[in-house]
Amino acid sequence: MAYEPQFYPGQTKIAQNRRDHMNPDVQLEKLRDIPDDDIVKIMGHRQPGEDYKTVHPPLDEMDLPEDYVRDLVEPINGAKEGHRIRYIQFADSMYFAPAQPYDRARTYMWRFRGVDTGTLSGRQVIEMRESDLEALSKNFLIDTAFYDPARIGIRGATVHGHSLRLDENGLMFDALQRYVYDEKTGHVLYVKDQVGRPLDEPVDVGEPLPEEKLKEITTIYRIDGVPMRDDEELLIVVKRIHRARTLGGFIPVEDVFEKL
Amino acid sequence: MIEVEIFPHRYLKASTTEKFLNKIYDLKTVERVVIHGQPLPKVVNYGPARGTPVNHTERKIINVKGVPVELTVMAGRFWITLSDDSELDRLDEICKELFPFGYNLRVGKFLKDRPTVTDYIKYGEDGVFLINEMDRRLIGMVDPRSRMATSVTVVEKEDKEE
Repeated sequence: MAYEPQFYPGQTKIAQNRRDHMNPDVQLEKLRDIPDDDIVKIMGHRQPGEDYKTVHPPLDEMDLPEDYVRDLVEPINGAKEGHRIRYIQFADSMYFAPAQPYDRARTYMWRFRGVDTGTLSGRQVIEMRESDLEALSKNFLIDTAFYDPARIGIRGATVHGHSLRLDENGLMFDALQRYVYDEKTGHVLYVKDQVGRPLDEPVDVGEPLPEEKLKEITTIYRIDGVPMRDDEELLIVVKRIHRARTLGGFIPVEDVFEKL
Repeated sequence: MIEVEIFPHRYLKASTTEKFLNKIYDLKTVERVVIHGQPLPKVVNYGPARGTPVNHTERKIINVKGVPVELTVMAGRFWITLSDDSELDRLDEICKELFPFGYNLRVGKFLKDRPTVTDYIKYGEDGVFLINEMDRRLIGMVDPRSRMATSVTVVEKEDKEE
């Protein structure tokens, strides 16, 4: 049986945006071009130009016991080389950020191989082999419409801020002030790496997106944007899952399910 | 005596907070102001960069009517005690001028005016007796866990704390 993935239910713009994020065939709009080295600096795991540290020899040189799963699954490049696993973590503001933690988790799982991701209410971490993580961070997580310099923060620790009001410049609150708004150019500059160590020179991540654009590409249901209750199809699915999970714990008989 | 809460729709820069405080201290009826907001740490508390200074540009000493006030929070809310409601309109005008992004102004009850169980636990009965003896206007000004010396500033005009 050929399976056609549906990704996400719903008829609203928000649901469509979520489907676009998850669908690996959709190319998200490219909005900025940040140099590789700058992204390496923000991540703070290695110096730009430094070799990748390894945790094991390349897979080709290793004498591994025979296992047919290894033949079935093609390792990603970083795994082939034995690079270590590193992380990048994002916090998404509730004020119409383009992505949000659950959407990120699903998107990562649909689009990428060799990722481990952890979802929390305000932040979303992605772990992967270092070289692959850098490529993915640049090409997808930061350069495209998946990211907004003002409403999304790259934060490894002390992430508090996603549910707070924005500041006067429209940036999400950050206790460590990893990024600042340059009032002359209107750009957002990272002055610290993701855990709060100062950078030698600021990294420019471009202009914040305008409010209308954010409302167009956001994946967050909000009462002052598109409310979730406007989406009938989504509500049907959510209610169905909710009932099944609630009743499932009580070992319901057949006729209870028939009424749902 | 009435209390007013001012809730700007954005977190304020230190410079805006300074302007706002100076303006409202011009009003005659303003008795005390509590600034509420997000704490800005001096050093990084968690993670690999623990101990590194933060140097947040909004954590600085501002000048309110000539009195230096160390701003340790990013202001997001003000609780203001007014002696009467005669200058509410002027307060509203100040807000309109300084907060173009929007704000809420509510009259209500926001600060405590008598010692509570927390104070009994913190100071003991003798301590609470002392609180009752001291200036009543200091009650409710401070978070019970913080030290008063660092969080209350007296702005002299006709006795005003903040």
